[in-house]
Amino acid sequence: MLRSSLQGIKVESMNHRNRTNGLSRRAVIKSAAAAAAYSLLPKFGTAESFAAEATHTLVVAAPATPQSLDHEFDVSLGTIDTVGALYDNLLEYEKIPDPQVPDALREDIAVHSDQPYNLNLKGKLAEKWEISSDGSVARFFLRPGVKSNWGNELTADDVKWTWDRKLHLTGLGPFQAGVLNITQEDQIQVEGRYVVSFHVPKPNPLLLKQMVNLSNPVYDSVKCEQVVTKDDPWAHKFLENNSAGFGPYVVSQLVRGQQAVFKARSDYYRGKPYMDTVIFKEVPTSATRLSLLQGGSVDIAQFLQPLEYTTLKKVSGVSVDAVKASFAVWVELNAKMKPFDNLKVRQAMNYALPREEILKTVFQDLADKQTGCIPDIYPDFTDKFWTYDADLDKAKSLLAEAGFKDGFKSTLSYDAGNPVQEPIAILFQTALRKIGVEIVLNKVPAATFYDFVTKREQPLIFYLDSPWVPDPGYSTQLYFNSKSYVDYSNYANSEVDDLIKSGLQTLDPTVRNETYTKAQQIVMNEAPWVFIA
Amino acid sequence: MPIKNRFNAEPTSAVWSLILKRTGYGLRYFVQFLRVYPGYAAGYVVVLTVALVAAVAPVIAPYSPVNADASVYLQPPTLAHVLGTDSTGMDVFSRVIFAPRIDLAIAVIGTLVSSIVGSSIGAWVGYFQSTTGIRSFSSNAIMRAADVLQAFPVFVFAIALVAVFGQSINSLVLAIAFVNIPIYLRLMRSQVLRIRDMRYVEAAYILGVPDWVIIGRHIVPNSIAPVLAQLSVNIGWSILLTAGLSFVGAGVRAPTPEWGSMIAMGFPNVMTGQWWPSVFPGLALAITVFGFALIGGSIEFLADPRRRRTLASGKPPLPTPA
Repeated sequence: MLRSSLQGIKVESMNHRNRTNGLSRRAVIKSAAAAAAYSLLPKFGTAESFAAEATHTLVVAAPATPQSLDHEFDVSLGTIDTVGALYDNLLEYEKIPDPQVPDALREDIAVHSDQPYNLNLKGKLAEKWEISSDGSVARFFLRPGVKSNWGNELTADDVKWTWDRKLHLTGLGPFQAGVLNITQEDQIQVEGRYVVSFHVPKPNPLLLKQMVNLSNPVYDSVKCEQVVTKDDPWAHKFLENNSAGFGPYVVSQLVRGQQAVFKARSDYYRGKPYMDTVIFKEVPTSATRLSLLQGGSVDIAQFLQPLEYTTLKKVSGVSVDAVKASFAVWVELNAKMKPFDNLKVRQAMNYALPREEILKTVFQDLADKQTGCIPDIYPDFTDKFWTYDADLDKAKSLLAEAGFKDGFKSTLSYDAGNPVQEPIAILFQTALRKIGVEIVLNKVPAATFYDFVTKREQPLIFYLDSPWVPDPGYSTQLYFNSKSYVDYSNYANSEVDDLIKSGLQTLDPTVRNETYTKAQQIVMNEAPWVFIA
Repeated sequence: MPIKNRFNAEPTSAVWSLILKRTGYGLRYFVQFLRVYPGYAAGYVVVLTVALVAAVAPVIAPYSPVNADASVYLQPPTLAHVLGTDSTGMDVFSRVIFAPRIDLAIAVIGTLVSSIVGSSIGAWVGYFQSTTGIRSFSSNAIMRAADVLQAFPVFVFAIALVAVFGQSINSLVLAIAFVNIPIYLRLMRSQVLRIRDMRYVEAAYILGVPDWVIIGRHIVPNSIAPVLAQLSVNIGWSILLTAGLSFVGAGVRAPTPEWGSMIAMGFPNVMTGQWWPSVFPGLALAITVFGFALIGGSIEFLADPRRRRTLASGKPPLPTPA
């Protein structure tokens, strides 16, 4: 799994302004982390220099400004960062110190048998919550007096409107509701001004986890209903450029391709954030983001390259911390295309990948080997089925068994916008050449790349992703359920489908562990991906 | 074939001796020219060296230009890797000397195709300009089409063509040929417009020589000099275009050794202090293009009869025009 390296590593650098105002680096970081409302950068580490803390303005050099503020239809990273600042969820995980970097706080996503529903959660917009004994009803009691950025009070109607919207639109919503088996409006019921309940046909271990998911924040339905039109009954056009939520920030300017400016809300129910103004500047090249950071023109440089972090380590006044993350990069082996419909060929591809070299050169040892098919920090992850350490002889003999003694030719597509994919591809190509497999490298622009991924017509294509709900059921449902829209490798195994489904219908942690361990065993053996990092 | 005989009055051996004699003059002029302007000689030396190195690259390259070796990634220039290694451990020197095989081939073939096609069409268009009927109409239509082609920025147009044809070396050749055609078309047309009113052309016309023979035998040979001068400059420019396309990812596929794609691949490392994967291919590119520009300049010089005469007379050279 990638540590935050790909998505950024927490890098703290002190410039002279930090020192002169007497604030300690940690104090700044902590207050910023708390106040910026785990905020614009909730999960991704970054490089920070805090050039402008004196004025409480945070300048972020980002690869792209948000394209849309309506997360229903935009999953780009700029939008994801933004959604966390503009909106709040019903629940959140308790924070714990990161095991490797104790100064960094991270979500406690482990299974806690001693806690209600086995989760270490705390309320955010919901004060308290309960699940019925048969697991079919989840009831949330909302915090009274919480105001949106339009001054409307949070009520149960807002939560219902939010989920009804998911059911009516065709973006992320149907999936987010679907994993909870919610398909009808009447499954979300308003039981009082501050009480809302979710009714699911079978016990669902994701019921609470989905309320933490960044994709499921609560909208201000009063404001949204004021702006709906006949053609736009769910306020999509409004929410693309504005926000109507209960989060700590509001948008004050959005010039796509240039910058987005966010202002802190003084009436935020958990207190005004430390940073008054947060500015996202679009700086597409990582080298430029790095130089802006080093020059002190920006406080945070997002998504630097591994080698750039290594370089930063050598700069005095900069420390580089790496924390584990759920993002991973892999190559999809299209199981519906020859020769990757052959299990032995897929396994051979895994044995041929020079993983250690890639970790060392491309990731500068800032990433870990991807030894399983779900993120290694998620509950129920196991690496005991890992067998694919680089072994060209084994790869060659597997190819011979599969009837490709002399190798074969294929094409590997990768994203021109992602600088780590090309060197990985070149190292992989060189290794494959040694066992007679010739792959042509097909570099495609980002837009074409995602089109290629979703069409599933490429024999080999990179993919980089993170399942956002820390749950083995959610992760495997996304990538390995043959009916999932994210099953980009066309992997299909009815036994795995059944295991995923049954694990999503029980709350018993032991049964879930056994179920998903079995599912991981099958998937790892059948190798639908070339596991990388 | 009375007409052919009339225009081919000299016996074959006499034609050859004339050609040899003229070549002799030409060579003498050329040597004299390089003596007086040794700067231009550098262009020929550079281009010949690049072509030679490209030809023997498989023999002299110490490593494979496409095999990655993670154990030696991003090594600065050393004895083992004289120009260092890139981020995947490929030897920069081997790649730099293999690259012109691709770059020169694409640029030379692309430019030759565009010059042949462009000048042929240009000759046709110029010859029939301001006549009547379908031939006039077609020559006007071709000129307006050339206007449209030239209205697009060349680089953007080339990217679009590569996108349409698909990313391959053939597509690059096609794209380069296509974007250059209007240049040769206009150049040839302007020459032909001047030559076609010459007495000897009119004489041939009156004698009943077919149009295509007049164009091929009397007009084109007398209009070709500026096209030849343009060729060299254009090859250098096409190398830049090829490299530019590869730099933005629309050119050759990685890891094919090609200067533009090498610069692009090494670019992220420049910021982190490893300048060699980018700078050496950049230098090679710059020097080669400079070489072609010098050759282009010299051809332009030699094609100018006034300067040629001054040179032959042994008088002090004329100042280089600004």
